[in-house]
Amino acid sequence: MKSRLHTSYDEATALEELHQRGWTDGLPVVIPTVERVEQMLLGGGLDPDIILGHVGPGYGEATVEKVAVNAVMAGCLPEHFPVVIAAVRAVCDDGFDLGVLQSTTHALGPVVIVNGPAREICGNIASGWGALGPGHRANASIGRALRLVLGNIGGAQPGISDMAVLGQPGKFTACFAEAEETSPFPPLHVARGFGPDQSAVTVVGVEAPHSVIATPDGDDPDAADRMLRTLAASIANAGANSTYGGQGTTLVVLNPAHARILEKGGHTRESVQQKLHEYAVTPKRVLNTWAPMRMHPAENGDELVRAIASPEKVVVAVAGGEGIYSAVFNCWGGGEHAVVPVTTEIEIGQACELPVGPVGGAVHA
Amino acid sequence: MRDGVFAARLGIPAVAILTEEFVTQGDFVARAVGMPAVPRVVIEHPVSGTGKENLERVARLVAPKIIAAFAEGRA
Repeated sequence: MKSRLHTSYDEATALEELHQRGWTDGLPVVIPTVERVEQMLLGGGLDPDIILGHVGPGYGEATVEKVAVNAVMAGCLPEHFPVVIAAVRAVCDDGFDLGVLQSTTHALGPVVIVNGPAREICGNIASGWGALGPGHRANASIGRALRLVLGNIGGAQPGISDMAVLGQPGKFTACFAEAEETSPFPPLHVARGFGPDQSAVTVVGVEAPHSVIATPDGDDPDAADRMLRTLAASIANAGANSTYGGQGTTLVVLNPAHARILEKGGHTRESVQQKLHEYAVTPKRVLNTWAPMRMHPAENGDELVRAIASPEKVVVAVAGGEGIYSAVFNCWGGGEHAVVPVTTEIEIGQACELPVGPVGGAVHA
Repeated sequence: MRDGVFAARLGIPAVAILTEEFVTQGDFVARAVGMPAVPRVVIEHPVSGTGKENLERVARLVAPKIIAAFAEGRA
């Protein structure tokens, strides 16, 4: 093990030391003993020295071993680890602009969407009721592991290197699986070029979710279109960052019932993207009136300002229970690449057999 | 479920109606508000937004079950 070893009197003392060093997210963590980290490494099955990427804004080196330490701290089980590895690879892609995403004053964080067989194999990642809320160990732990990597390896510390004015609760953890079984659309990772038997994570750098109510009437031939316009109205408004940047990528998570209404209305994922691009607009006149300091001169007040610059700049996924609420995650628009979503394969064939028995031992961080 | 319990508490015969997806939650609520045996009738999910024809079909299916629940003295 190449990481520095620390010793402590007991686990309670070690926990306080981890808090004091700023190596937690503010909540208690599992103490990363050598044995626990070794177990986690077996779950990934990769050489501990492999560098998964460099984590902005500090650009620390994310070796598999360092990521495993953080996964232990987050409460991950070894079977979750391949998803964490893929998520770290994804956020370290240049296109994701992680350094500035973590530094901006805006309230952004990566949302991790899991597709394919890994949803079950890697610890039953929830895709249904409350998939983005509390109560799902895999979802909570995987998202939290990524957050700890962003802080401990990437160096994002509030008010020092992470200048989010308020931040948002999704920066603790944000991970869910797509509800492939109840979705009328092909899986997200298939739409993004992977095979249905492959597993992948898609990371999107966005704000907190805004719950969007839509109660369509089954007898209304325009129900799908009305729903799309409702979603678009939640994306484009004078308070939405994407209205002014326009180059970022918005995330829309449809609950399966809403997705089926859109499908019944003749829509595909691609046509949903197209329509949201068309409908997510704000009249320049409104922006001139309410936000005159922004970049819209007074002339051409009837001109419509798009919050989604092109159809591919909205990611559409399906998750949640059956109901009348879907969610919009607005975006930013900053960054050299405007925080492009990244999809990375989850390597689930690499895991090693785990030894049986209790795990404890010396404290390691 | 909560409405059914509260109506029953007021002395009004009540049957709670819930959809299949909310059976577990309904049981939880019934226990939480102190009337775990409150009568209930389960209908398919979803019904909201499924159109007039379907709502009428569901109503025709469920009405006899509600009447039966009252008639059996379970309400």
